[in-house]
Amino acid sequence: MTQNEREVIIEIKNLRVEFKGKGRKPFRAVDDVSFEIYKGETFGLVGETGSGKTTIGRAIVRINPTAAGEILFKGRRINGVIPKELDREVTRKIQMIFQDPMASLNERSKVDYIVSEGLYNIKGFKDEQDRMAKVSRALLEVGLLPEFASRFPHEFSGGQRQRIGVARALIMEPEFIIADEPISSLDVSIRAQVLNLLSDLQKTKGLTYLFISHDLSVVRFIADRIGVIHKGRLVELAETEELFGRPFHPYTRALLSAIPIPDPQIEKKKKVLVYDPTCHDYSKDKPKWVEITPGHFVLANEEELRQYEAMAG
Amino acid sequence: MSQKEQQVIQAIEDEALFTFAEYDPEAAERVGYSDYSYWGSTLKIFLKNKTAIFLLALMASLILFTTIQPYLPNQKSPTKIHVDPATGHPLRNQKPSNEYWFGTNVIGQDLWARIWSGTRTSLLIAIIVGIWEVGFGIFIGAVWGYVRQIDAFMTEAYNVINNVPTTILLMLLAYILRPSFRTMVIAMCATGWLGMARFVRNQIVIIRDREYNLASRCLGTPTSRIITKNLLPYLVSVIVMRIALSIPGTIGWEVFLTYIGLGLPIDTPSLGNLLNEGRQVMMAPALRYQLVFPAVVLSVITISFYVLGNAFADASDPRNHY
Amino acid sequence: MTEPILSVRDLVVKFSLRGQILTAIREASLDLYPAETVAIVGESGSGKSVFTKTWIGMLDANGWADSGSILFEGRDIAKFTTEREWLTIRGKKIAMVFQDPMTALNPLRTVGMQIQEALELHQGMRGEQAKARTIEILAEVGIDMPDVRYHQYPHEFSGGMRQRVVIAIAVACNPRILICDEPTTALDVTIQAQILELIRSLQKKMGVTLVYITHDLGVVANVADRVAVMYAGEIIEYGTVEEIFYDPRHPYTWALLSSLPQLGIKGQPLYSIAGTPPNLFTDIPGDAFAPRNPKALKLDFVKRPPFFQVSPTHYAKTWLLDPRAPKVEPPETIKALRAKHDERYAL
Repeated sequence: MTQNEREVIIEIKNLRVEFKGKGRKPFRAVDDVSFEIYKGETFGLVGETGSGKTTIGRAIVRINPTAAGEILFKGRRINGVIPKELDREVTRKIQMIFQDPMASLNERSKVDYIVSEGLYNIKGFKDEQDRMAKVSRALLEVGLLPEFASRFPHEFSGGQRQRIGVARALIMEPEFIIADEPISSLDVSIRAQVLNLLSDLQKTKGLTYLFISHDLSVVRFIADRIGVIHKGRLVELAETEELFGRPFHPYTRALLSAIPIPDPQIEKKKKVLVYDPTCHDYSKDKPKWVEITPGHFVLANEEELRQYEAMAG
Repeated sequence: MSQKEQQVIQAIEDEALFTFAEYDPEAAERVGYSDYSYWGSTLKIFLKNKTAIFLLALMASLILFTTIQPYLPNQKSPTKIHVDPATGHPLRNQKPSNEYWFGTNVIGQDLWARIWSGTRTSLLIAIIVGIWEVGFGIFIGAVWGYVRQIDAFMTEAYNVINNVPTTILLMLLAYILRPSFRTMVIAMCATGWLGMARFVRNQIVIIRDREYNLASRCLGTPTSRIITKNLLPYLVSVIVMRIALSIPGTIGWEVFLTYIGLGLPIDTPSLGNLLNEGRQVMMAPALRYQLVFPAVVLSVITISFYVLGNAFADASDPRNHY
Repeated sequence: MTEPILSVRDLVVKFSLRGQILTAIREASLDLYPAETVAIVGESGSGKSVFTKTWIGMLDANGWADSGSILFEGRDIAKFTTEREWLTIRGKKIAMVFQDPMTALNPLRTVGMQIQEALELHQGMRGEQAKARTIEILAEVGIDMPDVRYHQYPHEFSGGMRQRVVIAIAVACNPRILICDEPTTALDVTIQAQILELIRSLQKKMGVTLVYITHDLGVVANVADRVAVMYAGEIIEYGTVEEIFYDPRHPYTWALLSSLPQLGIKGQPLYSIAGTPPNLFTDIPGDAFAPRNPKALKLDFVKRPPFFQVSPTHYAKTWLLDPRAPKVEPPETIKALRAKHDERYAL
């Protein structure tokens, strides 16, 4: 199946997000970013702290207002001012999983309320019995016991809390889930549980994920395609193994070289590349977002493009 | 070697122990991490504070007593001027005695009855103003803190209102309206909520961008429910403390305003009026009891609520929960 | 083998929390040898931080070393009670670098002064000489334009640069043991790689004994000569870095390694450990990992296993090493790691 035939669920076109800073000029957190997410895939968005990856996720769920560009969900624009009905649909179909399970659950509410919070908002249940049944089902789906509903979040461990967060999103029956660093604040032995859970849910429910992370090794494991973002701009995008096998942009290459490998003989010998942004000369020739080989995009100017094409052979 | 250890060693000998145990993945999930409960721990720490318990009991009995005092037998009217039946003169400045437990004042009213009546008035004002502060102040503060669009406007409005000294505002109100119980309550309600609103606003700004609130926004939770379910429950402890501190504060204002002559009319006994009367005879050592009795009651109330408020704040602070 | 410079024996550390007693460290023992790098790996709550904080008297006020000993330069520092005793060790002999550099830096003083102060205090340098050495150290830890940076305040530095400054202060103290507590966890991967390189080169140059605390096995593979794995307050396995990665013996070490996404196969579920670490408020009779171990023996629930020797440098606390135990194969991932290693050796 070629990519043109695949259904696009999210399309981001020339997105720009700005924050008012202290100075007169607003700070551009996301600048001219464009990409598509296909139905049923996991799209990994990788970048360092402050790269704008979280901002993109929050722009999609309408928490961060956009300054320019468009976000389309199944072909309909969902950024800026939209009809109330579409807003309700977006709320329901697009859900988010947060980074820190210690901070993302309301400590003063019982698990029962936390999980069914979304249902109250969309009046997604017939009666109290129906609601409780839905909560139980959502808890079971994430590997928790229905009896946990009557407890408070502080009684649970990080991994369990993160799964409560997943149940809260699942109960809305979303099609698209933004997972913003869902495992980076979890303990090593718990991460696999959550990663497996996300994969299972994708298989059984046909979910699409935007998986935001700073950790390339995790993204490599879970994502079908990866976009690398640096200082608010997407610098490279390709299918996972293509990106790992043939990275073009020097930033991608630096990032790949820095991944710690749990194998002492390899890790001790590895050579770390340092990315120096001054290696680009964009003074005359501005960079463009170019599809260098099918499905492999890179941000480059004409001269760099020639170099990359030479590398691609 | 203990018997238990011997048993264990024997058990090791037992080959059966070197077989696989049954694995129950549900059991691994069931680990209740802690039985910590926020309110349970708060109560436990509060109960450990013996001073606070004593003061709480004292305040409870004080409020109860001022309420039922007029209905007890042998109580005199706080406003009646007692007259010596033999001479027909008022019984002025009588020392405390069996008949007049706290003595009488300069015009011959029973000080015991006046003190409880005054405490009742002052506490009532404090409680009404306190409830208003909680209701209105929290409402304004919560909206102000959570709805970003109005923050700049509200902050400016706050700065303007807050820059008018409360004293002048209260004096102005007391001039415009006639001095009465109602005037007092209105005057103090008009100013008291401001501090509460600002306080709640600051607290809400601190917690409003935490991830769990973002999560609620993603789920489409309306603002009103985010405020009541996500924000205010986190503030209950600090709000209770503010209320506890607002009661002595309001009484203090009442005393001050009455003292400078702008508070309650003199025919309504209040702690402020009583202190003012007592102050006028303060220079005569024999009459000093007229100042001492109301001053003691006022001090006990003020200090108790202050200590209670702080004890509760300490107990409800999760950092002290161990 | 040379004499250890620090020797911890059967250390038990307890905390009093909400009226209950929590046993954070349950009879942990460890020897540190001169000029080596030991990585202590564990999850949060495994006690890895608490364990090392005990060596410099930095336990929280509600914690104490209940029993066991920590021998350092002929003294049992576990018996120290006063701040004065600790000050003869902390910073001077054993220094620590924390995860958040801002906790170690004074925001109101210039970076140069803070390093210089350490030099004056610990190496007796004065005036111009101390300043010159400070600038030299700043250059050594990889800070550009050290003479300009000398006059700047911590907030003018990025996170990675601040961590370099903290390392510079630790270097200025010239300690015998340097403890790095997750120094790169809050940093980006590219910065982390640079800091790891810096730590490694400094360790070689100074000949200091480095203790590196982390939950990240990739980082362990990078820095460590020897590895100690902690679980629920115990060291459950230790050995050279190669022994731990290519021939681990404890089921927990297996699980930890196997659950890494780097070693997983795409499209297949990762090896995962069910449940959560045990509650340290309660008494743990046997192997603390047993309830989460699908292949646990009945004995694991009854009696705590002793250390079994695998090699002169490799020990593991599991009944599986007892001759009477049934044979349990390590997970596929572990075998694959081992096979890759053997393949490299064959070449």
